Amino acid sequence: MDNIAGSKSTLTWLVHISVAALVILWLIPTFGLFISSFRTADQIATNGWWQSLFPSEQNLTLRSAAPETQVEQNGLYVIEGQLFEDGAKAKISVWGISSRDIGSYKPGDTAELRKGGNITVQVDGSYRMESSEPFTGSRGSRVFVTATQPPKFTLFNYQDMLFKDGSASGMGKAFLNTFTVTIPATIIPILVAAFAAYALAWMEFPGRAILVAAVVGLLVVPLQLALIPLLKFHLEIGIGKGYLGVWMAHTGFGMPLAIYLLRNYMAGLPRDIIENARVDGATDFQIFVKLILPLSFPALASFAIFQFLWTWNDLLVAKVFLIDATGQTTVMTQHIIELLGTFGGNWEILATAAFVSIAVPLAVFFAMQKYLVRGLLAGSVK
Amino acid sequence: MKRMLLAGVAAFAYLAGTAQAETVTVFGPWLGPDQENVEAVLKGFAKATGHDYAYVGSDSFEQQIRIDAEAGSAPNVAAFPQPGLAGDMAKGGFLTPLAAGTDDWVRENYAAGQSWVDLGTYAGPDGADNLYGFFYKVDVKSLVWYSPENFEDAGYEVPTTMEELKALSDQIVADGGTPWCIGLGSGGATGWPATDWVEDLMLRTQSPADYDAWVKNELKFNDPKVVAAIEEFGAFARNDDYVAGGSGAVASTDFRDSPKGLFSSPPQCYMHRQASFIPAFFPEGTSVGEDADFFYFPAYAGKDLGSPVLGAGTVWAITNDSPGAHALIAYLQSPEAHEIWMARKGFLTPHKGVDTSVFSDPTLKKMNDILLGATTFRFDGSDLMPGGVGAGSFWTGMVDYAGGKSAEDVASEIQASWDALK
Repeated sequence: MDNIAGSKSTLTWLVHISVAALVILWLIPTFGLFISSFRTADQIATNGWWQSLFPSEQNLTLRSAAPETQVEQNGLYVIEGQLFEDGAKAKISVWGISSRDIGSYKPGDTAELRKGGNITVQVDGSYRMESSEPFTGSRGSRVFVTATQPPKFTLFNYQDMLFKDGSASGMGKAFLNTFTVTIPATIIPILVAAFAAYALAWMEFPGRAILVAAVVGLLVVPLQLALIPLLKFHLEIGIGKGYLGVWMAHTGFGMPLAIYLLRNYMAGLPRDIIENARVDGATDFQIFVKLILPLSFPALASFAIFQFLWTWNDLLVAKVFLIDATGQTTVMTQHIIELLGTFGGNWEILATAAFVSIAVPLAVFFAMQKYLVRGLLAGSVK
Repeated sequence: MKRMLLAGVAAFAYLAGTAQAETVTVFGPWLGPDQENVEAVLKGFAKATGHDYAYVGSDSFEQQIRIDAEAGSAPNVAAFPQPGLAGDMAKGGFLTPLAAGTDDWVRENYAAGQSWVDLGTYAGPDGADNLYGFFYKVDVKSLVWYSPENFEDAGYEVPTTMEELKALSDQIVADGGTPWCIGLGSGGATGWPATDWVEDLMLRTQSPADYDAWVKNELKFNDPKVVAAIEEFGAFARNDDYVAGGSGAVASTDFRDSPKGLFSSPPQCYMHRQASFIPAFFPEGTSVGEDADFFYFPAYAGKDLGSPVLGAGTVWAITNDSPGAHALIAYLQSPEAHEIWMARKGFLTPHKGVDTSVFSDPTLKKMNDILLGATTFRFDGSDLMPGGVGAGSFWTGMVDYAGGKSAEDVASEIQASWDALK
């Protein structure tokens, strides 16, 4: 007995460790995305998010103030100032004045400028330029510094996305539209599929097995095949592009999985209960409403989560069946793509948008996750 | 019945000449800041004509417009980034020919007018040629971007011939630097920046007639002339000393990130060949004209081919006929429509009648001068080739080539894919 108990506990350990490893594996990219959403586009392009958590040494190109700010002191033209933006606490280790040689001077050294005069840079980034001739040109000189900077994060991306002029109303509209799509597109297939699943699980009629096989077969049909024919059909019967069309499409595309999942669950319910009810004279409808539905709640909930997540994240179906040329029926996913720009280069917006759009699915998932687990395990573990 | 009634009403409105206000739906490839620009133009249209407008942009324009047209839910007007696609749509009967006289207008008012008419003229479903597309918003591709201050630090001069450009590249290598930043990565479209290189080099090594024949596949893709142009590109991209990160990094670097090497400290590279839109991907605060500037990707002095310019542009076509759609195309012919976007960002035009002083910065004017001063203007060849080649095997072939495959093999494969489409 000890042996068996012992082996069980090592197995539990193994399970725990592998679960922890998987969780970490899944969390790392999410965490990276989260960090990136607080960084500017240039920061993202210069170094990785894991480096941004600690003070890091960076090569920066900074610029002194423009010649127009110079003052005359004792016959010398002087420009004084601070290379770093206000509040940046950085420490310069080496610096230079030419892009060919960016580390030739130490803080406190004085370098001779190519155009005349000289410049002294201190460790904190303050500098002083002096020349016997006035400085000319429209811009200051470039100073290349190698500096250690503390981590820097910004809420700018969120601000830009949620509150910028025009963007706020666009986001709000897209958010509401997405709800208008997802809620009916989740409820309708559950309603239909629950009836179908009961019939396929517990009602005897000829051709039932073939019908089940057909539903399973439909699982492997890619929905892309049906996009254009279905849209043509919608336009012909007058639904056109719009909410009704997208609900119908989501319902149709979600139906095979819904029926299959629910039928398997319902077929696993104890036969005795249903037969007892039959003997007591319950009709099929009564059995369905009073027994099957309450007992299948975990399966219904887990499918609802699946369908909700899929419709929430969907772009393809929405683009084909919903978003028309008026631009009034945009959804979140489409709105995010619009924010990404013509060439899709705004990574920082992508990271931020991911976290804004993930909020609702996360809430739904945590609210219903105990059912999800029960629903998924119900068929497999007895 | 209802349809007839509607048609009757529309016809009546049209005949009566009253500006029956309608919402003109426009579909284009622009998103983000570009979307604001195009909407500014459409706002001008609404103001001038009394029609309303609705603009929708998409990053997968090519697929979306096909879906909408096939299903019959097309917008009134679509702005195609690729004339090849517009030609396919015209053939399928999804486009409406532009109003009579538009071709004469383009001939008279656009620099190199006839070539714009040719690019917008396609065979309809009945096989008859008509002007379907109106070019509005043009990009120049034959540009090399650089940092003037880095050139100054190192004492380099802007090259004016291809020979000088190659000598400068060698000079930079000899000085311990890396001359070029090249990145081909672009998600599903990875490889397209290389097609621009090959097209530009094709124009600099072969006659414009050969270029036209190549685009139509009358000159085979695996012809020695084309293979030579691919190898010219290889002389830049497959030379480990020439490219930042080595030639292995070419295919894996994203084109949006590759110009950033110009501005890093120390500079990862000194030059970057890319179209006029690329400043959008320069680091924040980069001032074009000061921190970054460009020069014309030069031609060989030793070959008598003039100064060819490679470009691209969006062609506007009517995908769902209505009086408002025609009114929009007519509005785009007004100088005002061009000047609104010129005063913003990233817009060039071959329109000769516009006031070039409204350009938002002097560099745009300089680019427009390159466009207007071209002895040969040729449209981006990959946009004119059939989609399966120009937006398919040509892209992937160039990635293979950058990865080390021989130019002959790559060219033969692209030709084979073209043959398969016929």
